[in-house]
Amino acid sequence: MIINTVTLLGHKDHGKSTLIGSMLMHTGSATKVRINEAKMYSKRLGKAFEPAFILDSFSEEREGGLTIDTTRAQIKYKDSAFELIDVPGHEELIKNMISGASYAKFAILLVSAKKDEGIRPQTKRHLFLAKMLGISNFIIAVNKMDTVKYSEHRFEVIREELLKFLEKIGIEGRHVQFVPISAYTADNLTKNSKNIRWYTGKPLLEIMRAMANHKDSGSSDGNIRIILQGSMPHETDSLLIGNVASGEIKIGSNVKIVPQGINAMVNSLFVKGSRKRSAKEGENVAIKLDKLIKTDTKGSVMYNQDYAKGNSANKFNALIFITKAIKGKVIIKFNGMDIKGTVKIKKLIDTTNGLERGAKGAQQLNAANAEIKLESKIPAEPFSVSKELGRFIIYQGDDFSGIGTITSIIGK
Amino acid sequence: MIKQDLKVLEEKSIFVIREANAKFKNVAALWSMGKDSTTMLSLARKAFLGKVPFPVIHIDNSIDFPETYEFRRDLAKKWNLDLIVADSEIKPDLVGAACCGKNKPETLKKVMAKYGFDALIVSIRRDEHGIRSKERYMSPRDKNFRWDYKNQPAELWDNYSSKLDAKGHIRVHPLLDWNEIDIWNYIKQEHVPTNPLYFSRNGYRYRSLGCTHCTVPLKSDAKNVDQIIKELGDTKEEERSGRSMDKEREYVMQKLRALGYM
Repeated sequence: MIINTVTLLGHKDHGKSTLIGSMLMHTGSATKVRINEAKMYSKRLGKAFEPAFILDSFSEEREGGLTIDTTRAQIKYKDSAFELIDVPGHEELIKNMISGASYAKFAILLVSAKKDEGIRPQTKRHLFLAKMLGISNFIIAVNKMDTVKYSEHRFEVIREELLKFLEKIGIEGRHVQFVPISAYTADNLTKNSKNIRWYTGKPLLEIMRAMANHKDSGSSDGNIRIILQGSMPHETDSLLIGNVASGEIKIGSNVKIVPQGINAMVNSLFVKGSRKRSAKEGENVAIKLDKLIKTDTKGSVMYNQDYAKGNSANKFNALIFITKAIKGKVIIKFNGMDIKGTVKIKKLIDTTNGLERGAKGAQQLNAANAEIKLESKIPAEPFSVSKELGRFIIYQGDDFSGIGTITSIIGK
Repeated sequence: MIKQDLKVLEEKSIFVIREANAKFKNVAALWSMGKDSTTMLSLARKAFLGKVPFPVIHIDNSIDFPETYEFRRDLAKKWNLDLIVADSEIKPDLVGAACCGKNKPETLKKVMAKYGFDALIVSIRRDEHGIRSKERYMSPRDKNFRWDYKNQPAELWDNYSSKLDAKGHIRVHPLLDWNEIDIWNYIKQEHVPTNPLYFSRNGYRYRSLGCTHCTVPLKSDAKNVDQIIKELGDTKEEERSGRSMDKEREYVMQKLRALGYM
């Protein structure tokens, strides 16, 4: 069956791992052995039963009560299946949060309703990042409702503040659903809780089911984009190999390889080892063209010839999120290539309130409008046109320094 | 155990195998003759139109089951594999996890150095063991094969780690997303050759294969792939319950993996 990947988001200690553990238990997705192990670990560490311990963990994670690196757990609920991605909530572990969340179809943001917890900078930052990662549907679960006597007022205060922030960063209210829960006591997980009668919506897992069954309208414009991984020998031929990011390629298709700018025609096609007449989105192909491509094509893109934007660029504007202050030269990772370049920050954006600032100031954990210049040309497009060709990662040496999405192409 | 869409799993694995082969200069794969690494080779054959383009390494401690050696010989010939057999010496004073933690990685270190491999394909799956679910598709190991699990590289948007220490290597995990039942469904669909030890004889079969010293069979009447698929649909047991080293003490897998275990 199709598994829907869902990332958890939110500030540390607002209950992400506990919620996953609780969902594993209450959907019957965890074995007795696992639940008993969790009980044993809880007891040994002198804690009350901790559902988070059902999840796979490093010793440091259970003992320290935090999530260091992302993990995944699968649950089945009625006709749907989910892979829940747990991510760390700590600021210094945001690199791991980004890695985990990047695989999600939709997100569950947790906000603790508990006194002195509530909305934190990291709560908003995670929403900002999730939007950059291309996640467009959100469930906002207001957690620990049992600690505030299931107060409707507390829930409403949190909901209203977040709705304002969502509007500011461009997430429409119709893509967001709020639900009051308690992960620990399982209120509103699979069934409507008797403790929260003022809430008339669906419980969390029913909202997830509805989101899973909701079909994306499809953002692809139908143009052929095949991200190439170079070539391979086959009998006496050389075939180009790659993954179809969009469109459908057929025998006889007229294609252009970018950035090389070479035009060619498809002579034959292989999908998963067999000869085929065509290949579509998501498939890995091997392609024989009517001419031999002699240059390295790792990271190049094969387009349909009549797609005018099938060109290359070395300068573009981007929205970036910075995890380590950027000084001087950077390495941009783009579809498996490492390219040297520079990042010029034009305007910083505070990710905890969405407000713009000048180019000077604290970069770390904030976003920016920036101009990226590369030493060589790449097949780039705005993120709004092609997700796959509009996103990149920023490194300084071996250090992960941020991610970016292309807003417009400047120079060719 | 959730049955996943085999087409989705297959495309992801083929992508990762091709990416590793393109990204690194000298790739090798571990082959234990078990169901997972044999499935991986079957995927590699699809990725490269019938030919596995990299050498496959068997860490041979000479105490594998006779059926395993026969299976190795036959399939290496049939699939025209570039097989490297790395002899591992069993030290009688080491047992269980200490044996796995020492002998196998030490032999692997030698063979990796001898051939200068910079990437190693290992067919682990996330659902097999808690600690394996924390892994990346591509994960750097230093010259001592240590896994820096507290500081793993970012991995997103099909961009994988390029961090290669001198004498270190990258572990490549193309089967990370697969569940145990998916492997069996794929073996059925693709007629992947299977080590006979997985099938029941005299009321017992092996569900996970290690060497003769540390692997115990489970009670089972599953005599073919279909019966195994049915059995897994009903089971409440964990897959590696027949692997004694996992149980010696808590977090043993975390410790073993940090030290270079596969």
